[in-house]
Amino acid sequence: MIFKKNIINIFFIFLLQFVMSGSYAVEPDEILLNKKKELMARNISKNIRCMVCQNQSIDESNASLARDLRILIRNQIQKGKTEEEIYKFLTDRYGDFILLKPPFKLTTLALWFLPLAFVLLGIFIVYFHNKKSIKL
Amino acid sequence: MASTLGNILLWLSLLFSVLQFFNSYKKDNQNTLKINKIAVNGLLASILLAFFLLIYSHVISDFTILNVVQNSHTTKPILYKISGVWGNHEGSMLLWILVLAVFNYFLFKLYNNKNTIFISKTLEVQAFITIGFIVFTIFTSNPFEVIFPSPENGLGFNPVLQDPALAIHPPLLYIGYVGFSAAFSISVATLKLNIVNSLPWYNYMKPFVLAAWTFLSIGIALGSLWAYYELGWGGWWFWDPVENASFMPWLLGTALLHSLIIVEKRQSLQAWVLLLAILAFLLSVVGTFLVRSGILTSVHTFALDPSRGIYILAFTALLGFYSLILFGSNSKKYFNNNYFAFFSKEGAILINNIFMIIVCSTVFLGTIYPLLIEAITNNKISVGEPYYNSTVIPILIPAILVMGVGPILSWGKQNKSEITKKIFPSIFITTIFTIIFFSIYRLISPIGVVGIVLAFWIISNNLVIFYKKINRSFGMIISHLGVGLLILGITGSSVWQIEKIINMKTDAEININKYKIVFDSIEEVKGPNYLALRGNFLVYDKNKNIITILKPENRFYPITGNFTSEASIHTNMLRDLYIVLGDGNLQKGWTVRLYYNPLVVWIWIGALVIFLGGLISLKNNIKKLA
Amino acid sequence: MQRHILKIPFIVFFLILLVFFYLLMIDRNPSKIPSALLGSKVPNFEANSLFKKDKFYSSQEFTNEITLVNFFATWCKPCKDEHVYILRLSDEMGLNVIGINYKDKAEKTTKWLKKLGNPYSKIAIDNNGQIAIDWGVYGIPETFVVNSEGIIKYKHVGPITKKIYKEINLLVRGLQ
Repeated sequence: MIFKKNIINIFFIFLLQFVMSGSYAVEPDEILLNKKKELMARNISKNIRCMVCQNQSIDESNASLARDLRILIRNQIQKGKTEEEIYKFLTDRYGDFILLKPPFKLTTLALWFLPLAFVLLGIFIVYFHNKKSIKL
Repeated sequence: MASTLGNILLWLSLLFSVLQFFNSYKKDNQNTLKINKIAVNGLLASILLAFFLLIYSHVISDFTILNVVQNSHTTKPILYKISGVWGNHEGSMLLWILVLAVFNYFLFKLYNNKNTIFISKTLEVQAFITIGFIVFTIFTSNPFEVIFPSPENGLGFNPVLQDPALAIHPPLLYIGYVGFSAAFSISVATLKLNIVNSLPWYNYMKPFVLAAWTFLSIGIALGSLWAYYELGWGGWWFWDPVENASFMPWLLGTALLHSLIIVEKRQSLQAWVLLLAILAFLLSVVGTFLVRSGILTSVHTFALDPSRGIYILAFTALLGFYSLILFGSNSKKYFNNNYFAFFSKEGAILINNIFMIIVCSTVFLGTIYPLLIEAITNNKISVGEPYYNSTVIPILIPAILVMGVGPILSWGKQNKSEITKKIFPSIFITTIFTIIFFSIYRLISPIGVVGIVLAFWIISNNLVIFYKKINRSFGMIISHLGVGLLILGITGSSVWQIEKIINMKTDAEININKYKIVFDSIEEVKGPNYLALRGNFLVYDKNKNIITILKPENRFYPITGNFTSEASIHTNMLRDLYIVLGDGNLQKGWTVRLYYNPLVVWIWIGALVIFLGGLISLKNNIKKLA
Repeated sequence: MQRHILKIPFIVFFLILLVFFYLLMIDRNPSKIPSALLGSKVPNFEANSLFKKDKFYSSQEFTNEITLVNFFATWCKPCKDEHVYILRLSDEMGLNVIGINYKDKAEKTTKWLKKLGNPYSKIAIDNNGQIAIDWGVYGIPETFVVNSEGIIKYKHVGPITKKIYKEINLLVRGLQ
């Protein structure tokens, strides 16, 4: 491929100014001035799944839907909504799938309870082993 | 023609595997050995040749072969033409088979005049696994498929895959989880034959587990390293299902490695080790299923194809059902009534095992839970990073505490005052290190303190062990030290990261930590197959001395029309300065993302040290066998 | 007791593989998410209309007939591909189809519809994507079927294909 240097370069600078590639996540113009509110927005965003990406949060993604949702979250925070209210707003529309931290529901009981059960089982096994070793 | 030759070699390798499988282990030892020698060497030779043939086809850009067309291009640099061979589904299956054949060869090398039946049985199992994968490859994922008419050039490539870390990441990973096949085969042979106490099967198993585990460790680390410098926000682990698929065999491998020590010393936990060896490999195969069947989407998944999925699932079922039913019926004879006291080396190792299993089960639960929910309720949920952070991290904390103490304890029960005496020096050193650390890094946060204390706990324990010559296992000391360094890096970079996102025009400046960054200029740059817009950022320390110029780039690859963003990173022992250039133009300025990542380099150093420790242990264990 | 514990690994493994097998067998798309709005009332929104001067009020629509809602844009290629089916749904089946023009330019949409045909009885303009978010839309085109009482009964993500067209056909007949 022979690059016609000048044309390609001009085209390229033009292209890169407007078409973006790896511009990741929160843009400067999204950031709220109030640090506490901005932190709240970032924390919520980290828990919201980017629906059009593969396994990223909207905080990390450069997809346009991710940006829309980031802005929406900040607007809601400015209106004074709580974290729960914002999560509810999003799950009402997108379902539980949009939450990266699974909700506490009947269907996710096993998910949250089993690790604890594993730990208890582990403690029991160690205790059992210890007890039996004393007997011998 | 390359394609014909390639297919012949694949069928030959199948033939040799079949020969090895049907070669009876029950009678006539000498003949069995001879036939296995032919089979083992023949398999290795044919698959090695096939593999080199595929590499050659990629290198010379033989576009009569579909695999080359789909994954290569004449302008690709030669290193990446080669690594492109295993970066796609079909080529990676060839790599799977190659690693199976290599481990098969080393299993064969175990033969001596006392263990012929046992090793023959092991080879039979290994052959079965190999047959399964070769058949899968030939019939559903054949890398030597032709394309007619052959096009002028390949379908381009993903520029994101052209990277040294990414190039070597798959082969190392595969030595890892494919290597567990050898442990699986030894375990099945042990269960099938009645060799309790007559053969040291665990001595055979250990070097294979060590090799697999060691390479899996470095393979995972390289993947994370790549993600860190490539993906643009300093992250290196995302609990992506495919990452989990490599992490789970690693966790089981760690448990397996440690319990093998107990089996060696105490002949205890044999049944448990046999089960672990089966599960570690089964998890590797299930991982392969998850990645290649289309059942999940992830950044890592290969092209989705349900028919492949059905085959892999069926084969996994076959392997799993046979081995686990065998375990259910035959493992009883490997039980003994050796119980461990809590305060002993074996007690500590048992505790470590349990923690590794708990973490593995939790990761497994999180990974497949969305699938379970979907099957049962037709609804979809996500299980992402927040879940794993809330479950896995709290479980790992006590595990790491025990890990510090374990190597210092002796075999057999000790009383509490003995133990206190032994660990007192480490507690002292840990405290000193922690105080020094926080007097320099004045940011105190609860989780940060926990992480630093744990890191220094491991490091000081191992320094004590080394100094007092308590333990002669040098490899173990090195690897454990590596874990301490790893924890240091993980804690530093997670807890104390500083992020700044701003809009900058040229000549603007910004401060981060004690550095001043000046946006000097922006320029065009031409690369071998891309055009880039590069920003030049001067970095000054607090004494106004210039430290470096960071040069992040936004690249355009004309052939595929891809855009990528390349971060610019300045690393030293204490922190990374990490900068990414975003959108923008000369009038309005550019979005600039700046990160101060403390102690990141210790993650990579720690991983490397773990790897070196593993290699040392491997060398020592192989010596023991000879 | 010990005998039975030893069978547990096999049983757990078996169950898990059963789940995987089931998921492979059913016709599922790992990247399609079921709508959270099925069975709920249509979201309340107002917007500018494309061809009319009056604003579009959702409360005034969806009250007495089965309605399709189609999110589309001129820059979206699958939207162009499916357009022929949207026309069929509107013309042949006589359905009321409302279009929601997502992040587009009015002049472009006008030209596009002139060229390809306009199946929409009304078109609402969604410039900032907020209406789409209210409907739980994450990738256009997306099409909803709303019954005569304003309840969302069905959603399809992606372009309408022959198969989906038939599905919608059957569904609408069932609702009438």
